[in-house]
Amino acid sequence: MLTTIVPLIGRRLIASIFILLVVSVLLFLVLHVLPVDPAAMSMPPTATIAEIEAHRREMGMDQPLWDQYAIWLVKLLQGDLGTSIHFKRSVWGLIADALPATIELAFLSMLIATVFGIGGGLLLFASRGSYAEPAIDLVTIVLLSIPEFLWALFFILIFGVALNVLPFTGRLDADLRLPEGSNFLLLNALFSGQFAIFWNALKHMVLPCFALGIAFSPAIMRVLRSSLIDVYQDDYIHLARLRGVTETRILLGHALKNAILPTLSLMGVQFGFLFGGTLLVEVIFSYPGLGSVMVDAVRNADLPIIQAVGLAYCVVVLVINTVVDTLYLVLNPKLRAQ
Amino acid sequence: MSILAVDNLEVSARIGTARIPVVSGLGFTLQRGSVLGVVGESGAGKSMIGRAIAQILPQGFSVTGGLSFLGQDLIGMPAEQRRMLLGRDIAFVPQEPLSGLNPVLTIGAQIDEHLARLGIGAKRARRDYALDMLNAVRLPRPADILGKYAHQLSGGMCQRVLIAMAFASRPKLLIADEPTTALDVTTQSRIVELIRDLQRSEGTSVIFITHDLRLAADISDQVLVLYAGRLAEYGPAKEIFADAAHPYTRCLQLSNPSVHASRIGLYSLPDRMPGISALGSIAGCLFGPRCPNVIDACREKTPRAVSVGEGHDVACIRSDLTARIDPPLRQAIDKKPYGASLLTVESVSKTFSMTSGIFRRTNFQAVRNINFTLQQNEFVGIVGESGSGKSTVARLLCGLETATEGKLVLAGRDVTGGDKVSRQHQRAHIQMVFQDPQSALNPRRSVASIITQAMEAAGQATWRDRLAKAEALLHEVGLPSDAALRFPSELSGGQKQRVNIARALCRAPEILVADEIVSGLDVSVQAQLLNLLLRLRSERSFSMVLISHDLAVVRYLCDRVFVMHKGEFVEAGPTADVFDHPQHPYTESLLAAVPRDFVADAARRDRRNGISPADEIV
Repeated sequence: MLTTIVPLIGRRLIASIFILLVVSVLLFLVLHVLPVDPAAMSMPPTATIAEIEAHRREMGMDQPLWDQYAIWLVKLLQGDLGTSIHFKRSVWGLIADALPATIELAFLSMLIATVFGIGGGLLLFASRGSYAEPAIDLVTIVLLSIPEFLWALFFILIFGVALNVLPFTGRLDADLRLPEGSNFLLLNALFSGQFAIFWNALKHMVLPCFALGIAFSPAIMRVLRSSLIDVYQDDYIHLARLRGVTETRILLGHALKNAILPTLSLMGVQFGFLFGGTLLVEVIFSYPGLGSVMVDAVRNADLPIIQAVGLAYCVVVLVINTVVDTLYLVLNPKLRAQ
Repeated sequence: MSILAVDNLEVSARIGTARIPVVSGLGFTLQRGSVLGVVGESGAGKSMIGRAIAQILPQGFSVTGGLSFLGQDLIGMPAEQRRMLLGRDIAFVPQEPLSGLNPVLTIGAQIDEHLARLGIGAKRARRDYALDMLNAVRLPRPADILGKYAHQLSGGMCQRVLIAMAFASRPKLLIADEPTTALDVTTQSRIVELIRDLQRSEGTSVIFITHDLRLAADISDQVLVLYAGRLAEYGPAKEIFADAAHPYTRCLQLSNPSVHASRIGLYSLPDRMPGISALGSIAGCLFGPRCPNVIDACREKTPRAVSVGEGHDVACIRSDLTARIDPPLRQAIDKKPYGASLLTVESVSKTFSMTSGIFRRTNFQAVRNINFTLQQNEFVGIVGESGSGKSTVARLLCGLETATEGKLVLAGRDVTGGDKVSRQHQRAHIQMVFQDPQSALNPRRSVASIITQAMEAAGQATWRDRLAKAEALLHEVGLPSDAALRFPSELSGGQKQRVNIARALCRAPEILVADEIVSGLDVSVQAQLLNLLLRLRSERSFSMVLISHDLAVVRYLCDRVFVMHKGEFVEAGPTADVFDHPQHPYTESLLAAVPRDFVADAARRDRRNGISPADEIV
């Protein structure tokens, strides 16, 4: 198995380098032709034109665009993402603080989307031909058409405001302090034994994660249902039945393992979208992740941050795609042979 | 003791509000250790018997009548009790071995699941048992096979695995539904032999479902011939084949070409078996509309099965006239004289190079140093097993591949190079008829538009011209002109293949390359198409390279044959010589794999004695 997986990952790494280069050029060009003037914006309103020009030179923004790109790229490769114009902090530090929070949010949401998606898909499939089918079908279509930010608002209104059972701002209650060490709050708290903090952080994640997870699960449900229906046309299902295998075992032991393959490739794509979806949800829940950083940066035309966060999103999506393709290879023996 | 007793079995389908009996009035008993062959064309309801026994039917189907297995009523018993019988006392072998195994589970995991269900204790014990099973079906290196997936094995190997699983529980009844149809000729005979050996040593009763009458006669004790879900004829296998009493059985025999027989014409039954929706609209005998012996009395009521011999029943009121049905005279449909040489293939080879891993390249020689010539109006056959390189030859001739060595001269022009002009020249002279009419016809195009694609490619032609041309071609291939505006999905398999042929004829090519064009079609449809090709040749004159694994079809159509094995022509010559006196061991093994042929033997005797086949068989 390793003999096919290692070359795949190798090929992906090489391709990823090219993709990241192209994305970096695009990001850089688009941001630099925008009619904003970061140099002027970062100076106090009382600054004179001469002072702004001096600052512009200091930032290297009087150079030709390609030179600016080259300098940025070289620094990037050295691990220097530049300094935030607005926060006057290293961009690397900002991202290192925010990215783990977003990754935790996205993974937990994906977990919820997967559980709901696969469970719902099985339920949809099991209801085929029954009187409940059109009703369940309608529910999934309604779910499919509600975007994540609307779920976020519903949940805040219902569980946060009306019932007041769950928190809906930030990662922790104000009286708790972030523990030392890694910013993967849940893991960190769990492994350092700070269960009160773990519990509190988990409660803060319930609403944003369900908002994202539920928004992304209906598509998984429907694809799983239709691929199960396809798989049930296959001879080996019929033959298993003729061999006296029980229906439950046919579904879970034979059909699901085949039907999960198309579902998995959809989930790969979905996870990319979900990661993008964290941006809105983080803003709505004032959750201090990459999305919040990005929105602040856009508001302040903080180009170094925008560029770096854009690249970070890109890296995450590439990693997810590679992981999904590897999983696909592990689960599908036919691909392994080639 | 009887293993299975079937009495007045009826399987009906609900269509709208009506219930239409797809299988009706079926009755037979299966004795311990005996083999029943169930024969009929597709749609005859053969598979419904197996499905009715397992009570696993498509939605909307229901079963009534008597169905008793070892004295237990299969229809009345609770589903859970019936499920316990399946895979234990009643086992199945499917038609498509490759798709009968779950693609994402190893062979070992699937066998293990089955053995665990049979209650064979510990995992270790199950593994040992599995290895014994695979040994019993003569699979080499069983330990390796346990770790493999279905796609890593050949069709024949998969079928052996499935047969091993079916026999694992020493079942009382085995239902084999066309277990060899999807396999190569030589594999077919080995699989049949395996089933027969296991059946004998275990004393299993077998229901062997097949469309191949010869095979059924060869393997079975009794044969049941089904037509449109009704019993046509039931009796001792050898007797039915020596002396068919139902006109349908007789017509099937006469429409099936033979490897050894002289080339008597094939009987082509008109039209095709009525589908489920048409069943209700036929009065009296369902075979009536296609029967050569039909009289008014046949249309009055459904014929009852009457005995015509010891344990031999026939549902026909004129069975005494069956033997009078004669095949058409070969001369009536036979060929034109050969003309000039059209195509010369000189020492042609084709090597494919494939990438394996990241950098490694391996070469695979699909075709090795082949030579042949083709004259005007000549039909030649290329036979061999799958993977022998037959289809690569077809692709080389049509210009879909370029030869790596050798020379290809077509109508006086060297087309080896594969440049644009050569390709155009090839397309003008050679057209291909593809194997699978289902996927060869674009489902979103009307028949007229498919047939006249060549005119579209050439430009100019108006839709009116194309429609007129399409109607003319449809007429030639024996389809009604109103088919022109229909879509492929509205046609039957045989009709699609006719469209496929019409499309190839559109540019009036001098050579047709036909790749397995009748495989997968019913014998009666096959006979219609084979006769159509002979008639077309006499009407419009063209040559054909027929690529087939079916030796009998090649014998019927082609004067010369090339036997292909591992990319090489191992034997070549006039078809009659090669098939009657094979020189190469590979040709011998191909011929040995063909089931013995009672009718052909009879026909050969007739020829010698100078009497017509009909007289002797009476």
